[in-house]
Amino acid sequence: MLIEENLISGRIKMKRHGFIFALLVLFTMGCREPFEPEIENQEAGVLVVEGYLDSEGLKSELKLSVTTNVSDTVKFAPVKRAIISLISEGGSIFPLVEDKEGVYYFEQNIDENQEYKLEILLANGEKYVSGILKPIITPQIQEAGYVRDEQGIEVFVNTQGDENADDFLWTFEETWIFLPRFKVTYIYKPELRDVVPMKEEERIDLCYTSEVNSDILLETSSRFEEQVVFRKTITEIPEGDERLMERYSILISQKAIPQESLEFWETLKKNTDDIGSIFSPLPSVIGGNFKLEGNPDKPVIGFVSLGIVRQERIYIDRMDILPWDYNDPEFDDCFISPDTVFLNPAQLQAAFASGALLPARSVPGPMGPIGYYSTPRRCADCTLYADRKRPEFWED
Amino acid sequence: MKIHLLTFLFFISFSAVSFSQNQDQPKINGFFPGISLERFFEQVEENTPYRFYYIEQKISSITVNLQASDSKLSDLLDAVFQGTDFHYSFGADNAVFISKGKKLQVSLSDDFFSNVGNAGSGSSGQVDDAFVRNNRFIIGQSSPDKKTAILSGTISSLENQEIITGAIVFEKIDFTRTISDREGKYSIELPVGRHTIYIQNLGGYIEQRLIDLRGDGVLDMAIGESIYSLSEVVVNSGSINQISRPEMGVQTLTVSEMRKLPAILGEVDVLKGILVLPGVNTVGEASVGFNVRGGASDQNLVLFENSTLFNPSHLFGFFSAINADMIESVELMKAGIPANYGGRLSSVLQMKPKFGRTDKIGGSGGIGLLTSRLSLEGPIGEKTTFIAGGRTTYSDWVLDYLEDNADFNASRASFYDLNLNVRHKFSEKDILEFTGYYSQDQFQFDPDTVYSYQNQNYALKWTHYFNDQLEASFSAGKDKYDFQILGEDNPLNSYEFGFGLDQNFVKAEFRQEKGFRHVLKYGVHLNQITLNPGLITPYGAESIVIRDEVEQESALETSIFISDEFEINDKWFVSGGIRYNLYNYFGPQTTFVYPEGQPTTNENVIGEKTSEDGEIIKTYHGPEFRFSGRYSLNNQSSIKAGVNSMRQNMHLLSNSSVISPTDTWKLSDEFIAPQTGIQYSLGYFRNMAQNQLEFSTEVYYRSMRNLLDYRSGATIILNDDVEQDVLNTNGKAYGVEFFLKKSAGKLNGSVSYTYARSLYQTNSSEQKEQINEGTEYPSNFDQPHHAVLVMNYEVSKRFNATFSGNYSTGRPITLPVSKFVYAGSERVYYSDRNAQRVPDYFRLDFSINLEGNHKVNKLAHSSWSMGIYNVLGRSNPYSIYYTPEEGVLRGYQLSIFAEPIPFITYNFRF
Repeated sequence: MLIEENLISGRIKMKRHGFIFALLVLFTMGCREPFEPEIENQEAGVLVVEGYLDSEGLKSELKLSVTTNVSDTVKFAPVKRAIISLISEGGSIFPLVEDKEGVYYFEQNIDENQEYKLEILLANGEKYVSGILKPIITPQIQEAGYVRDEQGIEVFVNTQGDENADDFLWTFEETWIFLPRFKVTYIYKPELRDVVPMKEEERIDLCYTSEVNSDILLETSSRFEEQVVFRKTITEIPEGDERLMERYSILISQKAIPQESLEFWETLKKNTDDIGSIFSPLPSVIGGNFKLEGNPDKPVIGFVSLGIVRQERIYIDRMDILPWDYNDPEFDDCFISPDTVFLNPAQLQAAFASGALLPARSVPGPMGPIGYYSTPRRCADCTLYADRKRPEFWED
Repeated sequence: MKIHLLTFLFFISFSAVSFSQNQDQPKINGFFPGISLERFFEQVEENTPYRFYYIEQKISSITVNLQASDSKLSDLLDAVFQGTDFHYSFGADNAVFISKGKKLQVSLSDDFFSNVGNAGSGSSGQVDDAFVRNNRFIIGQSSPDKKTAILSGTISSLENQEIITGAIVFEKIDFTRTISDREGKYSIELPVGRHTIYIQNLGGYIEQRLIDLRGDGVLDMAIGESIYSLSEVVVNSGSINQISRPEMGVQTLTVSEMRKLPAILGEVDVLKGILVLPGVNTVGEASVGFNVRGGASDQNLVLFENSTLFNPSHLFGFFSAINADMIESVELMKAGIPANYGGRLSSVLQMKPKFGRTDKIGGSGGIGLLTSRLSLEGPIGEKTTFIAGGRTTYSDWVLDYLEDNADFNASRASFYDLNLNVRHKFSEKDILEFTGYYSQDQFQFDPDTVYSYQNQNYALKWTHYFNDQLEASFSAGKDKYDFQILGEDNPLNSYEFGFGLDQNFVKAEFRQEKGFRHVLKYGVHLNQITLNPGLITPYGAESIVIRDEVEQESALETSIFISDEFEINDKWFVSGGIRYNLYNYFGPQTTFVYPEGQPTTNENVIGEKTSEDGEIIKTYHGPEFRFSGRYSLNNQSSIKAGVNSMRQNMHLLSNSSVISPTDTWKLSDEFIAPQTGIQYSLGYFRNMAQNQLEFSTEVYYRSMRNLLDYRSGATIILNDDVEQDVLNTNGKAYGVEFFLKKSAGKLNGSVSYTYARSLYQTNSSEQKEQINEGTEYPSNFDQPHHAVLVMNYEVSKRFNATFSGNYSTGRPITLPVSKFVYAGSERVYYSDRNAQRVPDYFRLDFSINLEGNHKVNKLAHSSWSMGIYNVLGRSNPYSIYYTPEEGVLRGYQLSIFAEPIPFITYNFRF
């Protein structure tokens, strides 16, 4: 039975690096090294379909791509100009719109009591059809929260399954404020050959980093009493991590998935997470719920589901979880130079025109500033590492 | 004989000395001016066939001062010894014995033989040893029409009266030979007349008896195990066995042979030892599971006497479960499996336990870097002997030490095992033996999850000798294996998971000699198996984990077997057997019902069926045939052929390529049929250089049915409906093996080379999934080329060095054929199973054994063994895999021992 296996595979998943390393040193042995095997007969060009289409009109995306050779540097090989439509059993057709290359959007409120199928017509004439898709009404996230302990922070959700929604998939997106080591309020203007105070829109001391996580988080509620999934760990933030240097936000998406898709997700997870250790399972062939019309044996990767995506966003402030000692050693050599760059155009240009140094602090004199102390740009400019643009959802 | 090198100078100054050779009696010439008697002897030995035997200290006072021209040696010695207490006597082959006080008798007095009343009953234990060796025993009553007669008897040890198994009895004219059986009994047919019979036990020493064979008769022989050595011919028991036995593919390793192999961590390892044999290979270094002739590792029956070991390893396979001090020898049967063994498809590994010495209480032990062992053995009273032993590890200190220096997250690993073997001899006809084994392993990689497993084996065996022709043994026992995981990561999710296997067996076995040429074996073997495939329970009061259990399974295996070994004549020796296996699978059990002829998938479930307690749900039965034959080309070579068919009713469910502790067992049920296999083999065996060199080559072909392979994404743990995840698979394996072994001499060792394939193919009737589109694909352990070299050099009796090399083709793995992006990361796409291989495996090891001195009256005999595993430090990839790091795929190779690993162990014996 698959349900229990989740638990066990979650637990049994040996902390393989720990084990290997323990034995490594125990027997003074070596272990893993980078290695690029030569693989014959690569099989590129297999269609890959990814998406969870929201049935209540939340804008959701369907990605269409093909597999590439393992050694290729290209990551996403989009399939463009496909005609994709969701067709209800009643015959209604809901087209998806190509927005970016290989990314098609779906934004429809559809009847959850009908069954659907998805048709993908490629530019080369191949027509792929999904199996029957039945929208699943995902229960609400009952609570999303976090616990602070010695190891750091654990973000969790609580939810409860029902007779229609038993298996869950969670994804999450993290956003956090990134602050540079030094806050700088001056800017060198080459056209003025002078240093002036920064305007609000020129600030480089407050940035936002966003990351879509690629973990595959699965759970089956029926293995718990009353289908209550309690404190399902979404992510763990280790003590002192950068993400909580100021303020952190996580958007958790909860998707109920059909039982048939569980195998697909587990295989995907096994094939990436658990491969290679001593006790790893053998890699598995992955499929999905699409078939090529006329040649059902042709491989297609991807399991598309229909349902409601339930989302919950939480914020965590550093102030709430103190002490949190964030320190990135990369910036340990940052300093504000005690040498004054004097207030004359030639000196200012020599120091700041290249952009490698920034005017950090003014040097006070009897008649106002007589010059500036400088600091390397990487110590003060957060745009080197993150995005200055404040995300639309962000709440302070 | 004292032999001294003459110094050059000395030789020059007396170059005038000359000796004239005379066929009758060598004459001596020369001038011997006041030299020592020893030098005089040396010069005489140099130039004449005379050989002097004397005690150096005793003659040191004598000087020789004489001139000889064509003198007889006796005249010269008369002159030299005149007025002293010294005497000389001439023996055979120009031997000259110098003695003090009394002249040495070199021929026997006429009445010498009269101190034995009845020749033929030469029960020689108490009789003068020189006498029994030189007496000519008259055996049997002569009758004119008899050309040959049968000599039989029991061979026992002179030192402790224990019977000696496997001693060879042979004569050197026609090289007729036989081997003493487990009760020390031998029987040999020889032409009527005078013979010199040689007896050699496994230690390599030889005794002799002179007989005058007139008719059938009995000669019991007590032979010394080390003292009376006539080491002019060294015969290896295995080598004669190899030529004369009808079975093929059977190889025996004694513990002393294993001791010579470089150990991985200073421990003599039973299972690692057999890996030097051709046709035996392993897929990974951290794996005790081994593959024999293209079979899976669960197809090996690992027996400790009659007890089955379900997990023969400690610490994930870094150590074998059985302490080598507890066993006498290990026999691996790759083919030619006798009919009294059954239940597995590939091989039988029979470990013979020790039952302790009979003379006094003694013990042995060893202290290594990670493990220590201690055993005690000896007699309790007149009739009982025992051996008890234990082994434990203390690797935690290393981990503790490391924890201070690195981030180790409380990794822990420990194991121990205990053995007790007792033998009680009620009488000459009744022997009762008890063997007991218990092992416990525990390990964890983080503080929250503890894995543990236990082996428990207890067995009693009663052997009864009805008469010379018929003996029987009755055994009964219990074999148990349990595995647990305790997870305490979070009080709410804390759980205990476990599975276990419980087997009770009864076996009755009869061995009957029919005339001189037939040996019949027959019996009954019952196995009652109870399997708990998996149980998860909440752990602690707060846990909300729901208890779940895969239903217990139970089955009864009943086998009857009969076999006959028939030595048709000197050339032909055949053995045949049949084993009939009946397998009943019992309720209670609730299973899904699938429509007839439809695949057993979740979608096809049409109902449920519940069977009552004790109800027979499914019965499988079938015969197994075991035939082998030998044709002797001559005394040194033979050809053998064999056919073996086997059945296996239990399956190890393993979705990883090596045995891992989380693999569970499954009994054959109404959906999963017993595995069956048949093997055909043909071999050529030849001994060379007076049996010092053994060469053998065998070819084989096996086909296997109802093997299990797994669907993509198969689930094994806590799976109530395994039939939905397994695929009925056919297998075939074929190969050729070459083995050359030199068992004697200072330089000994072996070379083996195997070419073997092992291929699987999903059964075409399987509708769930056809792996690789239903074509043949290499099994997980298909390693075509495999070569092992072991070289042992005995620098002296106390010091030997071993060098070994191991090469094999890399094991098959499934590598991704392309990649794609899914769920925010690069993912790999796998296509054909096992289409790629890891790079080839190559390893060299070196070890030395250093024995303490061999004085008899020491408190303890000690030895050191040390060496280096993987001298080259080659990182042999165990696996290759891709894993996404920050969303980008990276290839890695994982090797287990990528560095040279030094080891040292101190062993002692008292």
